[in-house]
Amino acid sequence: MADFMKKQSIGSYFNCIAAVLGIVGIVAAVICSNMTVTYALGNMGTIALLGACGIILAVAAICLPNKFGNHDILGTLAVLGAIAVYTAAFGQVLSERILLIAGLFSYDSVNTVGWQVFYVTVVSIAAFLVADIILIIGAFSRSVKEN
Amino acid sequence: MKKTGIFRGLAALMTFLLSISVIVGNTLESFSSTIDTALGTQSEMMVTDDQDAVYDKFTPPAELLNEDGTGNSHALIQAAIDLNRQQAAEGTVLLKNNGVLPLSSGSAVTLFGIRSQVPILGSSFGVKACGGFINLDEALQNNKTDFAHHITTSLSQNWATGQVERGYTTDGWSGDEFDFDGAGFKVNSTMTGIYTKLNETYLHTENAGPSEEYDPGEPSIAEIEAVNADYKSTFAQYGDAAIVVIGRPSAESEDYLPGGIVAGLGAEEPLALTTNEKDIIALAKECSDKVIVLINSASAVEIGDLKDDADIDAILWIGAPGSYGMLGVADILSGKVSPSGGLADIFPTYNLSAPAMQNMGNFSYKNAESVITRENSSNYIIEAEGIYVGYRYYETRYYDAVLGQGNATSNAGTYASANGWDYDAEVAYGFGYGLSYTTFDMEYEGDPVFEISKDGDVTTATATFNVKVTNTGDVAGKKSVQIYGQAPYTEGGLEKSAIVLLNYGKTGTLQPGESEVVPVTVDLQYIATYDSSFDNGDGTFGTYVIDPGTYYFAFGNGAHDALNNIMAAQGIDTASLVGEANADYAYQTEITEDTLARTSFAYSKTGEKISNQLDYADWNYFQDGEVTYLSRADWEGTYPKTYSDMELTSQELIDYLNGKYYTLKTDDDTSDIKWGQDGDLMFYEMAGLDFDDEKWDELLSEMTLEEAQYLATFGGPSIPGADSIGTVETYMTENAGNGIAVNLNASKDTEAPWNISSDDPNGNWHPEVFGSSPLTAASFNPQLAYELGEFIGIESLFTGIPILWGPGLNTHRHAYNGRNGEYYSEDPILSGYTAMEFAIGALNYGLIAAPKHYAFNDQETNRAGVAPFMTEQRAREVELRAYQIAFEATKYDTEDYDAGMRGLMISFSKIGPVECTVSTGLMTEILKKEWGFTGYAVTDIYDDFDLYTAVLTSGATCYDTRGMSGFYTDTTLDSPRFANQADGSTISASVFAGDKNAQLAVREAAHNVLYAIASSNLMNRYNATTHVVKLNTWWRTAYYTAIGVTAAFTVLFALLYVLSKRKKKEA
Repeated sequence: MADFMKKQSIGSYFNCIAAVLGIVGIVAAVICSNMTVTYALGNMGTIALLGACGIILAVAAICLPNKFGNHDILGTLAVLGAIAVYTAAFGQVLSERILLIAGLFSYDSVNTVGWQVFYVTVVSIAAFLVADIILIIGAFSRSVKEN
Repeated sequence: MKKTGIFRGLAALMTFLLSISVIVGNTLESFSSTIDTALGTQSEMMVTDDQDAVYDKFTPPAELLNEDGTGNSHALIQAAIDLNRQQAAEGTVLLKNNGVLPLSSGSAVTLFGIRSQVPILGSSFGVKACGGFINLDEALQNNKTDFAHHITTSLSQNWATGQVERGYTTDGWSGDEFDFDGAGFKVNSTMTGIYTKLNETYLHTENAGPSEEYDPGEPSIAEIEAVNADYKSTFAQYGDAAIVVIGRPSAESEDYLPGGIVAGLGAEEPLALTTNEKDIIALAKECSDKVIVLINSASAVEIGDLKDDADIDAILWIGAPGSYGMLGVADILSGKVSPSGGLADIFPTYNLSAPAMQNMGNFSYKNAESVITRENSSNYIIEAEGIYVGYRYYETRYYDAVLGQGNATSNAGTYASANGWDYDAEVAYGFGYGLSYTTFDMEYEGDPVFEISKDGDVTTATATFNVKVTNTGDVAGKKSVQIYGQAPYTEGGLEKSAIVLLNYGKTGTLQPGESEVVPVTVDLQYIATYDSSFDNGDGTFGTYVIDPGTYYFAFGNGAHDALNNIMAAQGIDTASLVGEANADYAYQTEITEDTLARTSFAYSKTGEKISNQLDYADWNYFQDGEVTYLSRADWEGTYPKTYSDMELTSQELIDYLNGKYYTLKTDDDTSDIKWGQDGDLMFYEMAGLDFDDEKWDELLSEMTLEEAQYLATFGGPSIPGADSIGTVETYMTENAGNGIAVNLNASKDTEAPWNISSDDPNGNWHPEVFGSSPLTAASFNPQLAYELGEFIGIESLFTGIPILWGPGLNTHRHAYNGRNGEYYSEDPILSGYTAMEFAIGALNYGLIAAPKHYAFNDQETNRAGVAPFMTEQRAREVELRAYQIAFEATKYDTEDYDAGMRGLMISFSKIGPVECTVSTGLMTEILKKEWGFTGYAVTDIYDDFDLYTAVLTSGATCYDTRGMSGFYTDTTLDSPRFANQADGSTISASVFAGDKNAQLAVREAAHNVLYAIASSNLMNRYNATTHVVKLNTWWRTAYYTAIGVTAAFTVLFALLYVLSKRKKKEA
C-alpha cells in the first residue's frame, strides 16, 4: 500500500477527491430526499446509481494508470465516463428540484422547508459539479509518477 | 505538459461540456412552454394545414382590427385605458365629503404621502398591474401618457443577498403614447420631486406585499425637509387642496398579522395609521384648508379618526386602481364623474374587533410532531365566528343591541366602545356605503313581483324589486340599487344574519331630474338558512330551510342603511338607531308554509337532494364540544376565544390529516368501461356540443386510459394531446383576474388572422392592467363586470390563451388576508354575481374563466394545507355561496343552454382536515351534483401530488403541473414528481387497471376538460388537419449548436489523444 501511495501523482489525487465528492453528492442527495416526504427525490435510485458509477469509474481512473501507465486509454475512458455520469447525476437532481427552485424564487419564497431542502440540494449539485471539474483538471495531469 | 495529456484533458473538458449541453437541452425542452412565455419565444406551434373552418367561432370586435383583419394594438390599448378608467371611476368610493369635492377646474394642488408618487396599482403575483402606467400627478395635470418613463415595478428577491429588490414589469416602452383628457389641475412639483427622490432610498414598489412585521414606509417630515428644506414655500401657490395618499398593499403568500408592525412606528396594527402618516396629514392641513385623503388599499384601513376629524374634508377609497385607473380617480376629484361606488368590505374602527380576527394566523396542533406524518398538515384555524363574517357580524350585533337581546351590548369583542358594545364606535364605514356628488330619490315602483314555480322537486322562487331612481341633484350620476333582506330569527334558533345583501343593480348615468327604474331580481334561496341538523328522513341530515314568518327587504346606502330602514318598518324607535332610517324603503311580506314550504330549497336547481357534505369541516364532528361557535343568542358567552393549542385525539381526524382518503382497488371488473375503441370521431367535431351530447361517450371511448390519465395528470399551462381523438399538446392556461399574463407579441396563437406581430411597436404591451377585484365589486355594476370579462376575453384571443386562472372568488374573511386584493368582497352575493358577469362576458370570446381558489382560502399564512374548521352552515352561506352563484349563473340560463363558469382552480387549503382537492363532498356532491358544474377543475400549482388517486377520484379534473411541457417525450405518468404517494402506491399507466371507480373518474375528468376546451376559443384553431410543429428558437438553436460543437470537439480531442498516444508508443 505504501508503495502504491508513493507511486501516485497529482492526477490520482484529483481522481480520489472526485470519488470522495461523488460520495458527498450522493449523501447530500439522500439527505435532501429524506428531509420531508413532500420533497423526496422520486429518482433517488437513479441518482445513487449514477453517483456510484461515477465513484467506481473515478477509482478505476486511479488504479488503471498504475497498471497501464499515465494517460492510458482505459484510464482515460474511466475519467470520461465518470464525468458523464456525474453530470447526469447532477442533471437528475436538478430536474427533480427545478420546480421547487422556481417556486422558491417566485411565488413560494416563504417556504422555509423548501429552502432547507434547496440548500442541501445545492450541496449535492455542487459536489457533483466540482467532482467533474476536478476530474477534468486531473485529466491534464499525470496519475502516476514516472521514472 | 505532453500533448497526450493536453488532448486527454481537453477530451475530458469537452465530455463535460457535451454532458452539460445535453442536460440543459433536456431541461429546456421539458419546460419549453414556460420558457417561451418568459423569453417571448415560440418553440412550438399549432398548425392547421387546411384553413377551412378555422378562426370563425370567436373573433375580436371589428373596431380592434385593422382593415386587413390584423390586430390593431393601438386600438386595443386605448380600449383598455378607457375601460380601466371607467372601472376606477365607478369603483372609487366617496366616504366623506364636506363639500370640497369635486375640485374646480384649474385647481393648484399638492400631493402628500409617498404613495402619491409610488401608488399601489395592483396586487402581487396574480394580479399585478403591468407595463406603462399613468401616475396620479399625470392624471391630474397632463394630457398624454408617458409610458416610456413610467413602468410599473415589481418585487423580486436577490437569491445571492436575500434582499428584496425592485424590478420593472416590462423591459421599457418604445410603443405609442396616448392622449387623454386629464383633470386640468396644476400639481406641486416640489412635493412630487421630493417623493421621487425619497423613493430612491425607500425603493417602494407598486407590488410590495404585506409582511409579518409590516412597515408602510412613509417618510417622516424630517426626511422631506432633508431633501428640500424650503418645500413649505410652495404651499401657498398649490394650496387649493392637499391630497394625501395612504397605501396598504395586498399580495399572494403573505398576510398582515395581528400586531404585525415594525416597532416604533406609532401604530399597533399594520392597517392603522403610523405616526409619519398622521404627520403627513397634519402637514396637508398646513398646506390647505381643503384636505382630501385617498385610501389606496384593497383592505380596510383603520380610518375612524379621519372620519371624525373635522379638518379632513373628504375621504375617497380608491382600491388598487390598475395601470390607468388614476384617470378614473382624477375624474372623481375633478367632478367629471360623480362617485357611485360602495364599499365591498366594512371598515371597522379597529379590524381586530372582527370575531374572525381572534383566529387568524399561525396555529399548529399541540401534538402535531407526534401524530402528523404528512407534510403541510400541521396547521389549522378555527373559524369560530360562524356565519358572522364582515358586516354580517357588526350589523347583526347592532340589531340585537338595539333590540336588547343576546347580550349584544356586553363588552365582549369591544375595541372602540367606551361602555358596552356600540356600533357607532366600532364601525367607521359600513358595507355598501358610498356618497355621490348628486342626490337621488329612490322608491319602489309598485310591489315586488314574486314568482314561485315548481318543476318536480325543484322550487324556484324569486322576487323582483323595481326601484325608481331619480336624480334630484345638480350633476349627472349613477346610483347602485342594493337590495337586502332579513329572515325571521328566533332567539336560540338557527343562526341568521340580521341583514344580507341579496342582489343589486345600477342605473345608467342619470342627468339631473332624470329617472330610471332598476329591476333587481332576488333569488329567495339566498335568504334561506342552512340547517345542518335538519333530519331529511332518509338517513341524511342538513338542508336549506326558509322559516315561515315575516320577511323584510329594503334598499339602502349600504347594509347598515338598509337594516335601519327595516328596523324603522318594524316600528323600532328611530331615535335608538345609528344613522337615518326610512320605513318606506323597506318591504315586508309573510311567508307561510302554503306560499313557500319550509323545505322548498331542499333540492338544488339541478334536482339534487341537498344534505350535509362537509360534516368533517366542523372540529366538533371529531372532538365534540371543544369549539364554541359565535351565536347571536349570546354574543357575550360565545364571542370567539383564540383556539391556539388544539390537540388531536380523534384517530379519524388524524388519519384525514395524514392523507388517508382513498383505498385503491385492484380487482374490480372494468370490462364495461370502453377504452381505445376504433372510431372516426375527432375532437374538432365537438365544438359547441352540450355536455350531455351522446357524441362525448363515443369520443371518450376512442381514448386510451393512459391518454385520459395524461389529461387528468397534466392540466396546465400545457395540456397534453391525445392522438386517438386528434388533440395536440397546447399551451392553454394563464393567470390572472385583471388581464392575461402574456405579452401581445408572445401570443400562443400566431396563426390567428388578428395576431399582432412580434415587431409591432406596441408588441410588449402586457394585458394585466386592470384594477384589483374589490374595485370592480365596489362599483356594484354588473354591466361593468361583464364588460371587463368581455375585454379580457378579447385579450385572450390576441394572446392565444383559452383558459384563465381567475378571477379570485374567495370571500374576505377579514382585512388581514394578504390576498384580499385578488378577491372581490367579504360578501358572497356581491362576489358571486360579479364573478358570474365576468365569466359570462369572457365566454363571449371563448375564454374559460376559472375562478380560484375553490374554496376556503381564508388566509395566506400556512396556505399550503392549512385546515380551516367551520360549520357547514358557514361554509355554504358564505364561501360556497359565491361560487354557487357564479357556477349556476341562472340569470343567463335559457331553455336550451345551461350557463355558468366552465372552470375553477382548487384551493391549497383543506376544508376541515380534508384537502379540498380530495373532498368528494366539495368537488362532486356540491359542485357537480348540486350546482351542475361542468368543466375544468384544476388543482393549484403542484398541490397534493402525493394524493394522486384521491384527487382524481374526488371530482377534480386535473393537476396544475405548471412549467411542465413536452408530453409524450420525457414526461411520463411515472414521473418522479408523482413518485411519493401518501398511500405508498406507484403511479403508472396501469395504476387504475383494477379500480372501476377510478377509471370512471378519470374518464369523467377527461370529459370535463375536453368539454371546457370545446367551449373555448381554442376551437378556432382545430380541424382535421391540426398538428403541432416544433419551431427553431434562439435557445433551441443554441443548445443544438452546443451539443454539436462539443460532441465534435470531444471526438476530435479523443482522436488526437489516441493518435498522440499511438505516436508516443511508436516512438
